[in-house]
Amino acid sequence: MSAGFLTVVEAGSAQITDLGRSRGPRYGVPVGGALDQRSARIANILAGNDDRAPLLEIMALDAEFIADSDILIALAGTAATLRVGGIERPNEQPVSVRAGETIEVRQITGGLRAYLAVAGSFDVPRLLGSCAPDSVLGFGGRLLAGQRIPLTRATPPILNTNFGAELYRLNVPARPDTTTVEATDGPDIADFADTARRLYEEPYVVSPTSNHIGLRMTGILPERRVQGEVLSRGVPVGAVEVPPGNELLVLHRGRGVTAGYPVLAVVTTTALDVLAQARPGQTLRFRRVSEAQATERARAERAALDALRLRVRSVFTALDALPTSSGRTLS
Amino acid sequence: MPSPVATISASGNAALRVSSALEDREAGWRLVHHLARFIDDAQVPGVECVIPTYDAALIEIDPVESSLERMRSYLESVIARLDSDRPLTETPRLFEVPVLYDLDGELDLRMVAEAQGLSTADIVRLHSEPSYVVRCLGAPGGSPMLDGPAFPLPVPRLSSPRASVPQGVVSVAGRQATITPAAAPGGWALIGRTPLVVLDLDAEPFVPYEPGDLIRFRPIARDEYVSLLGTRMVAS
Repeated sequence: MSAGFLTVVEAGSAQITDLGRSRGPRYGVPVGGALDQRSARIANILAGNDDRAPLLEIMALDAEFIADSDILIALAGTAATLRVGGIERPNEQPVSVRAGETIEVRQITGGLRAYLAVAGSFDVPRLLGSCAPDSVLGFGGRLLAGQRIPLTRATPPILNTNFGAELYRLNVPARPDTTTVEATDGPDIADFADTARRLYEEPYVVSPTSNHIGLRMTGILPERRVQGEVLSRGVPVGAVEVPPGNELLVLHRGRGVTAGYPVLAVVTTTALDVLAQARPGQTLRFRRVSEAQATERARAERAALDALRLRVRSVFTALDALPTSSGRTLS
Repeated sequence: MPSPVATISASGNAALRVSSALEDREAGWRLVHHLARFIDDAQVPGVECVIPTYDAALIEIDPVESSLERMRSYLESVIARLDSDRPLTETPRLFEVPVLYDLDGELDLRMVAEAQGLSTADIVRLHSEPSYVVRCLGAPGGSPMLDGPAFPLPVPRLSSPRASVPQGVVSVAGRQATITPAAAPGGWALIGRTPLVVLDLDAEPFVPYEPGDLIRFRPIARDEYVSLLGTRMVAS
């Protein structure tokens, strides 16, 4: 039985995605998925979903939706204005939406990507276990105005009957520094001899040709000092390469899985989220860290999200016990 | 402790690169593919994905669920037990791929022939003579990566890559050859096109061949190309 639809009124540059297709690279298909993984997890956690649930990635341009049943949503990622039924509502909080109310995501500023999750998520096709779009395989893609996304369940409004506002306030862990990109030395750093250190000393400016495949940056480049062909091999997401031309290339989640360029450095898993929000023209600096430091940071970030998940669960459990305008339950 | 048959290096905080240290390239290729299959079958917690190629495999992990140190010692113990002399596939499947070469000169066949100092007929013959081993699956979309035909010279990549190479195109570059299962940008020289459909998005893997299988190209004329158009690629 259908639980209704979320209809796209204004598509902007939004798509349905998730944390990515981890079985893809085995078959020459990029992992893809939400570029800012942390923000995508936060949106899903606030909506009471599994971290891997499908959600909307809204890039740079305004978007508007309307649901034909009552739903609970959460917006995370870069700064953006959320309006429900024309009234401004908070980011990074669960927000109730009545059937027929418009959901507007406007004025995306600072970074590039905002994430909108709906409690219960969407009922959408998967490929190798993931709904993330893959333009090469022709799977998924940008939303179109008028498109109807099937919802898996409705969520009656959580309202304080006296004030018409939500009964909770969840503190989401603060956003990391957005101008420093941490990276570890790559397996082929020796190919660049003493020019490798330029990566950590020079500023780099994000080029407009950057996308989900990789970010291109201009600046004073390290130079490869070893000649000769490298056999194609698997390259990690985050690989920093210096291809022919005058730009640094940092591969992101849409990267071709194999390549024959030496890997100078690798952006850490948490810094990939920083790159996901980097706008063309922005100046970034790389900071050298060890694998152990990078892993420590990844674990600290995930622990903070685990703590948020527990708080969300306890709030939802407490609300379940409260009489609400509709006498509803959440689960 | 370094493994005598392979070197393992960190590739960021979420991946390890295992490179074969074996003299024999064939054995090195078998080693990294045996390793990938072992890890796939074992469903090791914390492993996101394994990408085996020619002489290396990239093992991607979740740094929160696992750790590079733990994964490194695990890989060393697995590699020590692998037999790199064992064939990758006991009975490789053979895929016969019909190819319409050149398509009225709109592709790069003539350019490739001229660069090699050969006729287009020579190029077609050299390309369709051998049975190729599928070395690995690469971009885009599970392309079968093959060792190139016995041309006298490596084939240069195009100076400016095409924005879109259609699906089914058969191409060569350097000393490699492939078939493109899905339309994508590409800088390889295109010498022909198969009428077969390679991708089946409902299957896993969504391409019919695996590393270790064999591919042979068979020249066909336009009427056969037309009659086979849309047929699924299957083993013979």
